[in-house]
Amino acid sequence: MINVGIIGFGQSRFQTKRTDVTFPELVKEGADLALADAGITIKDVDAVVYPLAPDALIGVGNGERWVIDALGATGKPFMRVNNGGATGMSAVLTAWTHVASGLFDVVLVAGADRVSESGSAQSVLNKMWDVGYERTIPLNTITMLALSAQRYMHLYDSDETDMALVTVKNRKHASLNPYAHLRTPITVEEVLASRTLAWPIKLGDACPASTGAAGVVLVSERYAQRNNLKPAWIRGIGQNSETYWMGARVGAKSQGDHADADALAHAFDIAYKQAGITDPVNQIDVAEIYAPFSSVELHVIEAAHLAKKGKSPEGLRNGKFTLGGSGPVVNPSGGTQCTNPIAVTGTIRVGEAANQVLGRTGAHQVPNARVAIASAIGGDHQFYSTMVLCSDLEEIS
Amino acid sequence: MTTNKNASAKDGSSERFYEQTWDLQYKHALGRTVSRFLDGLAEGKIWGRRTTDGRVLVPARSYDDLTHEETGEWVEVANNGVIEMSTVVYEAFNGLPKPPYALAYVMLEGADTALVGYVKGLDLSVQSVAIEAVKIGSRVHVCFAKTPTGTAADYWFELDATS
Amino acid sequence: MIATASVEIHHETSKSLEEMIFETSKRALNSLGLSADDIDAFVLGGNDQIDGRIISIMPSTGPVGGVNHDTTMIASSSEHALIYGYLRIMAGQSKRVLVASWAKPSESVDPDRAELVSAEPYLLRSVGMNETISAALQASRFLNGKVVNTNEKFVAWPLTRKDLPGRGDSVHVVILAQEGSFEVESQFAWICDAGWATSSYELGARDLANFESLKIACNQITQRNLGSSPENWNAVEIGASSEYAVNAVTEFLQLKVGISVNASGCLSDQFTSPFVLGLSRMMRAIEVTKNAKSSKDRYLAAGIGFNGFAGQGAAVMVFSNTKGVHND
Repeated sequence: MINVGIIGFGQSRFQTKRTDVTFPELVKEGADLALADAGITIKDVDAVVYPLAPDALIGVGNGERWVIDALGATGKPFMRVNNGGATGMSAVLTAWTHVASGLFDVVLVAGADRVSESGSAQSVLNKMWDVGYERTIPLNTITMLALSAQRYMHLYDSDETDMALVTVKNRKHASLNPYAHLRTPITVEEVLASRTLAWPIKLGDACPASTGAAGVVLVSERYAQRNNLKPAWIRGIGQNSETYWMGARVGAKSQGDHADADALAHAFDIAYKQAGITDPVNQIDVAEIYAPFSSVELHVIEAAHLAKKGKSPEGLRNGKFTLGGSGPVVNPSGGTQCTNPIAVTGTIRVGEAANQVLGRTGAHQVPNARVAIASAIGGDHQFYSTMVLCSDLEEIS
Repeated sequence: MTTNKNASAKDGSSERFYEQTWDLQYKHALGRTVSRFLDGLAEGKIWGRRTTDGRVLVPARSYDDLTHEETGEWVEVANNGVIEMSTVVYEAFNGLPKPPYALAYVMLEGADTALVGYVKGLDLSVQSVAIEAVKIGSRVHVCFAKTPTGTAADYWFELDATS
Repeated sequence: MIATASVEIHHETSKSLEEMIFETSKRALNSLGLSADDIDAFVLGGNDQIDGRIISIMPSTGPVGGVNHDTTMIASSSEHALIYGYLRIMAGQSKRVLVASWAKPSESVDPDRAELVSAEPYLLRSVGMNETISAALQASRFLNGKVVNTNEKFVAWPLTRKDLPGRGDSVHVVILAQEGSFEVESQFAWICDAGWATSSYELGARDLANFESLKIACNQITQRNLGSSPENWNAVEIGASSEYAVNAVTEFLQLKVGISVNASGCLSDQFTSPFVLGLSRMMRAIEVTKNAKSSKDRYLAAGIGFNGFAGQGAAVMVFSNTKGVHND
């Protein structure tokens, strides 16, 4: 199999609105930053994979066709991925396939989002649910994850304080990350006192609607060798899907409880097997894992086998998963909870993980990081993408 | 339909905005199975369908995504059951109903998957009381609209009276 | 390529889109005696606006059999979905891939309006643009001063209903497999190569008569596999936006004299939608190749699809009845 690595990651400073640019200009920003970081120009790029989640959020159908000029990608092989919230990372996996096929040496993944541009993000996302049965009920991303959080607390005797610990950690990390959107440190008390959106998800548990751009550049091993590049190597990838029907994720005959993320665990297992990871807690240094709400991070940590089911709160209370603590650090960038430009949030996970293993992150660097994992979730907790990155191609022991 | 607005950017140049709405209309074919389920609501019945591995899917579906096979037998399930998961929404979202409201996934007796719906008839003004009322394990029954619309709005849940 | 299944119908009222996708996927799998668990990866192609579903991978993963499997939605065009499936096989990443794409415009009260939202909001949308209008703009470039004589009503000058693809509901499923992962008898077409490219969005920046992205796509194939280049094709199925464009493409590519062009039928006879037109023509090219399976001579059929207004993007896939050695 052809080895594929990441040689560049660019991101804009994320904020609520960007009134200074059109959407294509924002996309160009992401592409330019990624290419600059990789030390190449668009002319060196063989193909482009474009991440864009619901077109409705940016207001242009098949918006990828609109932005191609801004990307500088006219005349190149070009396709777009839409896996819901996992899109940013699914696009990277699609780009991985492009390089691994042997047909392309340099592939760019770059895009942007401006979630707050659409005043009705949650009512747009309401249309994710079944046409016949679920449109009359106001389900949206917040309510669906509120349900999951409730079940987690019920099954594992956990409470909202455990959720708040995640927010406290992520905000602390984000305060060290100049690109993050929400960077203000916060206390458990402040999280618990914040207003309820859909119980138990409070404002203090939730991600912001972010605007900004991001991109990564993938290269083949032969290109890296020819040009003396030192990429962050992709050692394993995995994708999995679970049932669309949330009602099937409860009860005695369910395949996996809505409290857990078993289908994500399976995706991690696929990536771990490819990468040769047998002991995640001791072999993984950094985890950039998509979790838009604090409660989600609890079960994603467990799905990544960094804690047993129901045990991630205990780990957090003991200072684990936090910069400065021992063991794998979870979301040293602040994660999706602090920055969520939906279409590219998965790309940022990959870029941050890549920078960690290359020692280039800055203030939120995990010392001596060699192995990192990244993951993303799309749909109603339905689509999962995972990746293992390493600074070298040697055995992970 | 559209308006331009001006604002001043920091450097004095104007910043224009363009307001747009997507007004796209759809008429979705629901298929015979979903249609029959919705018709059942007018008769005060909740219908499920049995999969090839014996599970009763509620609401009824013509095929099962886990076995990837068509479902078979129609099964009428009970109009009462237990809350498997729920939430109370306090935040208003553009285009969605005015809060507060409660939603729950309920496992009706005889079903193997839970049905989603509003939980009505509750006083939601005090959050702690509301979330206790709809907690996991609470017993509820299905209520049906007197004038059915042929949509999923024709049913909802209400708590069983506690003794 | 080991199996295909399609449904094309004028207006499906008794089945939901998800049911149509389920039935077509099952037909393809059943034709091989396979189940969803025998497939390593699912690649889907859908357009949210036509179907009225946001993040349409969500309701469609179940019907294709993608639950508990690796599923990706390629949303830029149906041809790209097929191409991505092909890349997965080329990468050795998957042994068997199921590709499914669809469009159910009958569910859209005004499908032209759904296409309008693909026009960028600042200038183009208020002018009004959709697939039909852009096809007409492009067709006008091919008139070369000729007068259009017809008693037929123009839909958008110079195009009449007969010049345009028909509109209806369709689902297409293709199963691809790596050599060694299928019964030899079941396979019926080899993929020789694929090329694709997308040009500028700006209609004013392109010469609509100069099929720029198509040229680039064909060049990719010619450079990698000279034997699969257009002059070697025995048949071609072109999913262009008008019959004018079909003729123009044939001239533009300087195809073999006597080559069979759109032998499966003209555009207006199809029940289709711009998003899936390209894949539907690629599948017809596969059928044509299948029919030449037992021939001793090498038979090449190509499928061409376009995406975006007036052929902004083009994709080409070349199929053969024999495995053969490429680069000849």
